[in-house]
Amino acid sequence: MREMIDIIVDSKTYKAQNGSLLIDLLIREKIKVPYFCYHESLGADGNCRMCMVEIEGQKRPQIACDTLIKPNMQVRSNSENICKVRTDILELELINHPVDCPTCDQAGECSLQDFYMDYGLHNTKITIQEKVKHAKHVDLGSNVMLDQERCVLCARCTRFTDKITHTHELGIIGRGDEAKVSTMPGRKLDNPYAMNVVDLCPVGALTSKDFRFHQRVWFLQTSNSVCHGCAKGCNIYIDHNKMKYQDDVIYRFRPRRNDAVNGFFICDEGRLSYKDLQENRQESILLYEEETQENKALQELKNLIENYKEKITLIVDANLFTDEIEALVAFAKSISATLYSPLEIYKDENFKDDMLKSANRAANYKTIENLNINTTLPTKNALVINFNHPLDFEADVQINFTTHKRGKNRLTFPIAAFSENAGHLTNEDSIMQECQKAVFKNNPAPTIVEWLQKVRS
Amino acid sequence: MRECKIVSKKFEIENAHTLAVAKKHGAYASLEKLKEYSPLEIINIIQESKLRGKGGGGASAAEKWALMPQTGDKPSFLVVNCDESEPGTFKDRQIISKDPHLLLEGILLTCYAIKAKHAYIYIRGEYFQFQKILQAAIDEAYAEGLLTECDITIHRGAGAYICGEKSALLESMEGKRGHPRLKPKQKEPEWFFNNPALVNNVETIASVPFIVQNGAEVYKAFGTKQSPGTLLFAMSGHVERPGVYEAEFGTSMMEYINHFGGGIKNGKKLKAVIPGGVSCGVLTAKECENLTLDYEALRHIGSSLGTGGMIIMDEDTDMIEALKNILEFYHEESCGQCTPCREGTGWSDKLVAKILDKRGTKEDIDKLLEIADTMDGKTICVFAPSVSIVIVSFISKFRDEFEAALCVK
Amino acid sequence: MNFIFTEENLIKIEALKLRYPSPQALCLPCLWMAQHQEGYISINAIDAISETLGIAPMEVYRVATFYTMFHLEPQEKLNVQVCKTLSCKLCGSDAILEHLKNKEVNIIHTECLGSCGTAPVMQINDTFYENLTPEKVDAILKELL
Ligand SMILES: Cc1cc2nc3c(=O)[nH]c(=O)nc-3n(C[C@H](O)[C@H](O)[C@H](O)COP(=O)(O)O)c2cc1C
Ligand code: SF4
Ligand code: SF4
Ligand code: SF4
Ligand code: FES
Ligand code: FES
Repeated sequence: MREMIDIIVDSKTYKAQNGSLLIDLLIREKIKVPYFCYHESLGADGNCRMCMVEIEGQKRPQIACDTLIKPNMQVRSNSENICKVRTDILELELINHPVDCPTCDQAGECSLQDFYMDYGLHNTKITIQEKVKHAKHVDLGSNVMLDQERCVLCARCTRFTDKITHTHELGIIGRGDEAKVSTMPGRKLDNPYAMNVVDLCPVGALTSKDFRFHQRVWFLQTSNSVCHGCAKGCNIYIDHNKMKYQDDVIYRFRPRRNDAVNGFFICDEGRLSYKDLQENRQESILLYEEETQENKALQELKNLIENYKEKITLIVDANLFTDEIEALVAFAKSISATLYSPLEIYKDENFKDDMLKSANRAANYKTIENLNINTTLPTKNALVINFNHPLDFEADVQINFTTHKRGKNRLTFPIAAFSENAGHLTNEDSIMQECQKAVFKNNPAPTIVEWLQKVRS
Repeated sequence: MRECKIVSKKFEIENAHTLAVAKKHGAYASLEKLKEYSPLEIINIIQESKLRGKGGGGASAAEKWALMPQTGDKPSFLVVNCDESEPGTFKDRQIISKDPHLLLEGILLTCYAIKAKHAYIYIRGEYFQFQKILQAAIDEAYAEGLLTECDITIHRGAGAYICGEKSALLESMEGKRGHPRLKPKQKEPEWFFNNPALVNNVETIASVPFIVQNGAEVYKAFGTKQSPGTLLFAMSGHVERPGVYEAEFGTSMMEYINHFGGGIKNGKKLKAVIPGGVSCGVLTAKECENLTLDYEALRHIGSSLGTGGMIIMDEDTDMIEALKNILEFYHEESCGQCTPCREGTGWSDKLVAKILDKRGTKEDIDKLLEIADTMDGKTICVFAPSVSIVIVSFISKFRDEFEAALCVK
Repeated sequence: MNFIFTEENLIKIEALKLRYPSPQALCLPCLWMAQHQEGYISINAIDAISETLGIAPMEVYRVATFYTMFHLEPQEKLNVQVCKTLSCKLCGSDAILEHLKNKEVNIIHTECLGSCGTAPVMQINDTFYENLTPEKVDAILKELL
């Protein structure tokens, strides 16, 4: 650990690590300084020249992303002079930029738009007509679209494929004001983390084909959650929105920074898993495939539990929240049922890589193990009550509590998906994490805990 | 004018590019001195001589050499900069084509001093014809057993002015795009694949044998106190006898132009001189009157000596056209890495085109100066600040011409 | 169509590898060899270089597009590179360019060739032609075409 020292920014004193990057401090303390090219995951590149600050004793303005903090440093981030410098550079940045915010998907989360609003440039008259023309709709592959005219050449996306995925699909080609981001002719951006470049791009040059124009970002609501794609438990934001007269819908998952788990990124499969989460959902209660009343179904369930005493098997999905699993352990005990959570089915060695993806495709299998739940396949089954486990079991009678539609069974109860519920998960590295309730449906399915209460009463 | 031929001594000798002829005229004689001096002593001699880099910056050579580690487990490298792309500059090609062994001799001395086992010569791609002569000289030197202590490899560029900038040059040699690197936080060597490297201009290295052979005092007897020695000054443009002629620092510019260059072409009057490659601020004829050719004098009048390649413009020269021409060059050659330069070079080029086309307004001139200000001191390398100096010097010194060309509304 | 380095070039490449701390340094040398072999640099050649040097194709491609002397398309006509920078301009490069206009060549306007003392200048293949006049240009082209 390096020594902590005092530095002064705009006449306020801050503690910072000696020799650490000035821009990290400015970002952490929310001191406004515009920047495009710097990103904590990628390091300094120093190409955008936007993060200029004044440092006492230095004749010229310096870029904060390449300045190391030193004892007694005095920094000015908002003097008249430095604001003029930024405005001037920004003005140059805009010369070849189309400034088509009204039709840009990034509007609302675009650094360029923010900055030029901040620096009052929206009225600038650019005095040349002939902007450098580039392609507007390049399909890079992996759901990523590129608008070369909107690109500010910050090289975040290319550094991502160089330094993070080491797949090197993207590069800046050409020179001077003809330079542009591209893939190799005829080839695609193709790696399991490709869509992270959309989040990295500070402007609207890279957009997600999956998300493009579905929603304007300022309508979206955001909740903290954890991806259920595998046991890594990458932290995500769930962006969703409930439009008037419609239901609450998820529009996208985005990575949420957690240095202990996923850093800044998530895999594309996890990112796109929000779709499956919403499709093909079980919404009604079924008895022999017929919609039925809740009290009728509950009565049937109680009767079956009574009739099959001592011969009941409870199956638990290893993706359920810890809170739910614990409730089920208690429930099993109360009805003298045996509890299983067969884990073999979740194994997928092909999915695994050395970045984030885990071969255990069950978000909370660690809790199953911690609670010493039997993880083998149950053999003889009379009555099976399955709480969302993906397998179907041979049994005299199977009852399902399920998020998604599945095969023919005696009784089917719809349950809330993780996005519609709050709870905890323990990832494969034994880190406990929390998911907020994100989605509020018009007709929400009960959670498992709610169902259990109903069964007990 | 005193004749001084330190680097150009063998230029007039026929076939001096061959080892036999070069040796007959004293090539490699200075290597004998290595028996006498330790590496640090060589650096001291260079320090004593106050040799300054001849690639344009004029930095102290010895100071850079001293940054190279004398011990350590990483190999050290010498990189000779023969990118020579600064418009108006064509001196290094004289050395590599007329007296390549002088350069090789200098390389051997320098490598000895900085303990480098390998030297690269980065040569601009267009100089292939001269590269062949240089390669032949290297082959001869290998055959003669001269390169036992150190290897020499030519590395060919492929058309990019910015690769003359030392860190871009190293990026290029590492097989990457020629993007200048961010400035280091302290004084340190350059780095080639994370190994310490020294970058010097061809002429700087070619000056070393004379100094080692004759001692610092003899070298310092030429030139001025702060700019000792000589430079392969050059002239091009509107001059009767353009070319490269070695002269000592402190020589009067007009005397040089008249003595070697035979004066302005066709007896015309002088209008302006760009003193050391297009990246130096332009000078009016009046400013040139009593000017001497040394770093201090040129800095004093707000320009710089640069590479010493003077571009001479006569009374009929259209200064707007000249500025347009230079800006086109910068527009074409910006590496495009940082915003102010990438966009500023293009925009200023287009604005001057507009003025040249008689469509310009007073606001365009103001905008040009504003862009120049934004390009100054805010970029990764000094390419953009040079563009800034050029724009400001042209407009401030020839403002009436620019204003006369505006479309009056 | 696959690109394969000639035996001679392969030997050169292996020898050069010994002269650098990392094979990536051979990027420019290999691009030159490929261009000399085929007259331009094809995507297949880029793949071959990438394989030889153990770097990704994009790491070669973006380099190839940075330098003006590399051609990424087959060259149909003779390339005549005429310097148009200041010294040449002052000494009449416009007239040379004008004169070349109707010839069966591909005119490339280049920046300073480092030959300003013998302006105007042009380069064809690897050779400089200096102190040009329209008559001289005619004689040179007659020889080459
Ligand atoms: C844009 C730019 C272009 C340059 N071009 C050259 C060049 O062509 N040749 C050269 O020797 N130095 C050139 N330099 C200077 C080099 O960066 C470096 O300072 C020099 O090679 C060091 O050698 P010296 O100290 O012996 O002069 C250039 C610098 C800049 C900023
Ligand atoms: S596409 Fe976006 S991330 Fe990539 S260089 Fe351009 S602005 Fe930066
Ligand atoms: S690695 Fe696993 S947890 Fe992370 S985003 Fe992908 S599927 Fe989700
Ligand atoms: S100033 Fe110009 S040449 Fe230098 S790094 Fe920036 S863009 Fe490249
Ligand atoms: S963020 Fe510092 S230069 Fe771009
Ligand atoms: S200006 Fe044409 S060769 Fe230098």
